[in-house]
Order: sequence, then structure tokens, then C-alpha cells
Amino acid sequence: MKPVQIKTIILAGLLSLACTTKVSEWVLLNSLPDKYLLVLYHKTPLTESVRNQNREFSEKISSANVVFRTLSRENIVEPYYALYYNDRLFSEYHNYSELEGIAFSPLRNKIAAELMSGKLGVMLYLKCGNEEKDERGLKIIRNTVSSSPFGEIIPVIELGRNNPEEKHLVSMLLNVESDLKDINEPMLFGVFGRFRVLEPLLAKGISEENIDLMIDFLTADCSCLIKDDLPGINILFDGSWENPLPAMANRILDENPELLHH
Amino acid sequence: MEQDTIRYDSLEARPLPKWLTDQRDGLNTYQPPKLEMKEDRSLNVSFIITGAFILLTVILLTVYLLHKKKRSDTPSQPSPRGKESARFFE
Repeated sequence: MKPVQIKTIILAGLLSLACTTKVSEWVLLNSLPDKYLLVLYHKTPLTESVRNQNREFSEKISSANVVFRTLSRENIVEPYYALYYNDRLFSEYHNYSELEGIAFSPLRNKIAAELMSGKLGVMLYLKCGNEEKDERGLKIIRNTVSSSPFGEIIPVIELGRNNPEEKHLVSMLLNVESDLKDINEPMLFGVFGRFRVLEPLLAKGISEENIDLMIDFLTADCSCLIKDDLPGINILFDGSWENPLPAMANRILDENPELLHH
Repeated sequence: MEQDTIRYDSLEARPLPKWLTDQRDGLNTYQPPKLEMKEDRSLNVSFIITGAFILLTVILLTVYLLHKKKRSDTPSQPSPRGKESARFFE
């Protein structure tokens, strides 16, 4: 057999594999996280100490999905930082200390570790502070996930809305959609790939049916429609996405072909 | 992100995320065209065309044969060339 024929067969095999890769696995392996833009607006020329500070900060976040810029602007009173995602303003910070932990936090590390270990995705439950509502939602999530055939590979992680250690993560989650900040209800975010977060289920939308649909979304064959228009946003995170462990969902699907859906 | 411009009156009326409705409605995957069974009329059409062809052939042949028979039944007049031939042998 000629080398060209062998190459053609291998390429055809890879292409056929690409079409049956599950959404969660495909996004983790192939979809680079969208980058944030952090801008320092200033009116007067930057002092040497601020420039050093910026240099240090740039080095600190060099491997995160964020680009840092400084921009001179006339119509401002005080210098401030603004964080953008796809031209949308997510947050403003009025001093350097507020940027502490913008690209990493314990919970983000934990979620990333789960994703890299081959888990299907993470159900990130953002509590609203109303104990009754939070408990009701959590109960539905736990029951639904535990009864799913994929339950063992979907960790459920809770997060308080007022957790100071995770303030940046909470802020980004509440920016997934423009109205979330005004809704004081528990929210369930599906996290997959390289910290891609789906638009959340919230309040009564946290139902068995909708959680099952979220699991279906993550375990479905990755179609071109999803690849071209991936829902949700990426969370700002400084971590490596190289060499993730094999997707555990494939083992479950191989053992239970009746779970396959397209 | 798709819902940013959609307004709603109450939380109950807030639309579900697009990924979820697409997944529910099966729109996240490529939808092959639906195959519908249609009545197969090709056999009837074939019969009609064959019948018409046979009928037309029979009619044409009949007309031709009748015409030929009619011509053979009518007595033929001597041709001018015949006269010339007769004159030649005189």
C-alpha cells in the first residue's frame, strides 16, 4: 500500500472519530478558552512604581486567558481597571489590591482538577443565601445526579454567593448573562471543557428534567452546530489544560451502548 | 449570552437557556432530512406509456397496411414509360 493511501485512511479514521467525540471531551481537547481583556485606564502618565507593578502583574497572569493593557483616557478622575469579556464590561476595580486572585482561587483549582481528571463536567451550585431555597435546589441536584448513569463522574460543588475568597469567580458567574446579578435565586452552572460555563438553570428551572438535559448536552456527540456556536462563557483561569486524562464518559458509554444518543 | 436582549416580566417567564431548549428540541445535532413514504406511481405510468406506445404502433401499422391494401386493389394505369417501351419494340 502506498504511503498516500495509508495517510488517507488514517485521516478518514480521525475524521470519523471527531464526529463521535462527546461535547465535553471535544471542548476540553480542542476549544481554546476565550480571552478576557483587563484594561488599566489612567489620565496622568504612569509612575515607575505603577509600571513595575503592572509588569509584575502581567508576569503573574501570563498563562491565564487574559490580556492586560494600559490606556490613557482624558475623561476620568481616578485610574481604574476594567475587565471585559467579548466587549462586555464584567467588572471594575478601583485599586490594584482588588485584582488579587483574579485568575486563580482554590475553588477554580479544584474544578479544573476535576475536569482534567476526565470527569464529564462539574455542576457548580451557586447558592443565594436563602437556606430553604438553597436546600431545595441542592436536593434536586443531588437526587438527579446520583440517579444518572453518569452520576459518579459529575461532581457537585457548592459555592456561596458571598464567599470572599471566590469573589472573582462569583462575579464572572453572575456575568454569564446580563441579568443574573439582579436575580437572588440559587443557580446551577454546568462547567466543562477548559472552564466553559453554561448559562445557568435557576430557581424552579433547577429541575430533574433540565439537569438531565444538561447531562445529555455534555454526553452528546459534538456536532458542528455546537462547535461553531459554543454556549456559555469561559471563566478567567490561570492553569494548564495540557494532557487531560481520558474522558470517563467514554468508558460508561462503551459499557452501556443504550446510553448513546446523538 | 443569547438571552441578553430578551426582556421578561417575571422570573417565571424568564426564558430557558438556548442550549437547553436546543438540546430538548434536538437542535444541537445535525438533523437529517425526514424521509416520507410517497405513493409509487412509476409502475402505472410505465403501463400507460407502454400501452399508449403499443396502441399507437398498432394504429399506425393498421393505417399503413390499409393504405397499402387500398393502393394494391386499385387497377394501375399504364405508365408513359410503358408506352415508350412499346414504341421501342415496334
